[in-house]
Amino acid sequence: MHGPLSALLQAGVFLAPKPWDDPRLFGEQIVLGLATGAVYALVALAIVLIYRSTDIINFAQSEMAMFGTFAMWSIWLSGVPFFSNPWALLVLAGLFGLGLGAVVERVVIRPVEGKPLLTIVVVTLGLFLLLNSVATWIWAQGELPKSFPSPLSVLKAVDIGFANIPQHHLLIFGVGVATMVLLGLLFNYTKLGLAMRATAQNPLAARLMGINVGNMLTLGWALSGTLGGISGALIAPVLSLHPAFMLSVLLYAFAAAVLGGLNSVPGAVVGGFIIGVAENLLGTYTPHAILGPEMKLPLALMLLVAILLVRPTGLLGERAVRRV
Amino acid sequence: MEMEVWPFLALSLGVTGLVRLLPWGTERQRIVASLLVLLAFMCWAPFVLDNFRLFQMTRIAVLGLALLGLNILTGYNGQVSLGHGAFVLMGAYTVAVLLDRKEQLNLIDASPWPFWATIIVAGILAAAAGLVIGVPSLRLSGPYLAIATLAVMISFPIIVRKYGAFTGGSQGLGFSRPPQPPFLEDLISREAWMYFLCLLVLVVMVLLGWNLLRGQFGRALQAVRDSEVAAAAMGIDVARVKVLAFVISAFYGGVAGALLGLISGIVNPDTVDIVQSINYLAGIVIGGLASIMGSIIGAAALVFIPSDAAKVVAKLPILSSDVVTRAPGAIQGAVVIVVMLLMPYGVAGVLHRLARLRLDQIAARWREAPALLSRSLQRASWTWDIRPWARHGPGTGHSPREGVVGRGQGNLPTQQPREDPTKGGQ
Repeated sequence: MHGPLSALLQAGVFLAPKPWDDPRLFGEQIVLGLATGAVYALVALAIVLIYRSTDIINFAQSEMAMFGTFAMWSIWLSGVPFFSNPWALLVLAGLFGLGLGAVVERVVIRPVEGKPLLTIVVVTLGLFLLLNSVATWIWAQGELPKSFPSPLSVLKAVDIGFANIPQHHLLIFGVGVATMVLLGLLFNYTKLGLAMRATAQNPLAARLMGINVGNMLTLGWALSGTLGGISGALIAPVLSLHPAFMLSVLLYAFAAAVLGGLNSVPGAVVGGFIIGVAENLLGTYTPHAILGPEMKLPLALMLLVAILLVRPTGLLGERAVRRV
Repeated sequence: MEMEVWPFLALSLGVTGLVRLLPWGTERQRIVASLLVLLAFMCWAPFVLDNFRLFQMTRIAVLGLALLGLNILTGYNGQVSLGHGAFVLMGAYTVAVLLDRKEQLNLIDASPWPFWATIIVAGILAAAAGLVIGVPSLRLSGPYLAIATLAVMISFPIIVRKYGAFTGGSQGLGFSRPPQPPFLEDLISREAWMYFLCLLVLVVMVLLGWNLLRGQFGRALQAVRDSEVAAAAMGIDVARVKVLAFVISAFYGGVAGALLGLISGIVNPDTVDIVQSINYLAGIVIGGLASIMGSIIGAAALVFIPSDAAKVVAKLPILSSDVVTRAPGAIQGAVVIVVMLLMPYGVAGVLHRLARLRLDQIAARWREAPALLSRSLQRASWTWDIRPWARHGPGTGHSPREGVVGRGQGNLPTQQPREDPTKGGQ
């Protein structure tokens, strides 16, 4: 064999690290992937929650979370006793997201409800530009990115038997899973959750049953804002704060949501974990000369597009049947 | 003679509008004449505007081209794409690679690429990329397509950075902007030459686009947008039309990118970033969907909002000028949301209605005004009444907005079917 291809082969361009060379590294990649996957799953859940009930894809999800995280950073800097504790910040981030989500739904989204897809997409994109720009204006002064506190340490690792994992990543995984469990309990075992599911399934019938559909929609946005806020505060110590820091998370979350099927809640969770792990494995075990860690995002997105082409509604999504 | 840009634009648009609206000749003559007048004014621009404003006008021409491409795909064909910036960036890189690396990519006779050839190559390469992306996109629709194209837009700069040996990595590529042809050297400056080049390409591409969109293909595009099933039933090859829309849109994007590269002389992965790509979509929405004129109006909005909105908004007492100078995107986002809520057909839609107004109809409208006003006041007092003791109002469950209808479609009090002022009486 001659020519450029054989030269590339001899130069080892296509050589990739092998998982069995270093099983500990492999284990670490898997667990780290599950941890970031939990964050992706949270944001994906936020997207799916809104999409199920209103058919709206919220492109501003990342910026809402980013905005809240920056607000938390301000509180942390201000040094107010009790509230500027990193644990308290996690809770506050959720509460801030709750409020922001509700306000956004009432002020921006309500007027365009039921309008064509393009209108809604553009409005959420307008919100994206607005929040991004305001955050840049308020917070992006001086040195960027800014560091965000973690309740535990990002650097100190814990040996969990087959891998060394930073404490913070264990926290991400724990809080992420706990949030999902709480959300599952809310939806499946409370009257409020039942009302929200009914609203998502058939707003007209829900209204006839005496459910205040408008309030349920606001609550859906508020919950999704909460999920975004918590995920922002969870991932910020790892990624550091920057006006665009949630954008890549949003893309992975889109990938997760679409992978699972945009209208499937379990799909979002499964998709989040799959994308988290796949991202790490693709970054580590592909030839670094031509792919490697920098290409994690494009690789994950290509994976997404490939899956979409085989199953346009995602792994667990239901095919929508339309009457024309 | 020197002029500020706003008086200049007011003058040119005013004269154009007069030619268009004054009652003379046939409708067709009025349209053609007004466009020629506008073109003449635009050719006059380099001689009256300063360099900064001229560069802005050049950017409007380039952006207008890019937005026209996106409008063909999204406005006319209904495929929502957030990835148009990728095609523009690709066009810019094509030009940069061809002009910067003359030694490696020489033509057969070892002469460097002429700049006009790189524009064509950029368009063709981008169109090929449009084909590659358009075919798989056939399986995606609505939000899925928006997300997939967003993914393309995000990935492209990352790939460009990774393969830096060819693309110059994060630093990008620099090259010298093409000099004016010899016979123009004494007449116009380099900036004016760049402007005329972009204006020429824009005019040619607009004519091509207009020719394409007014005919059978344009109608097929819109039929597919409005209903794929109905379009297929009428014998339109839906898949072919959708892929072609992608290819043509990408071609426009590639040519716009080539011009963008040529006017700036440097291309790097941040030349078109994701916010810019989102702005393209915002631009066609502000300007007007499915409208050639709307694309160019949108481009003007995208250029002038960051630079001039500051001065306008700073006069408002509630905001400090600080917001505006440091957060132009905030205004842009707000403008997008407000336009979406108030003018679903964008500025071009409003102008279109204005152009159809006739003086006698306006007079009729004025005579009707008191009745209209009282009717709308009546309506407002009903829907906006927030007195808690009022039986009809939001929150009481008796307001028409909260009646038993599908969510979001408030059941407003029956409106008198008002005669459409845009129709009849021509």
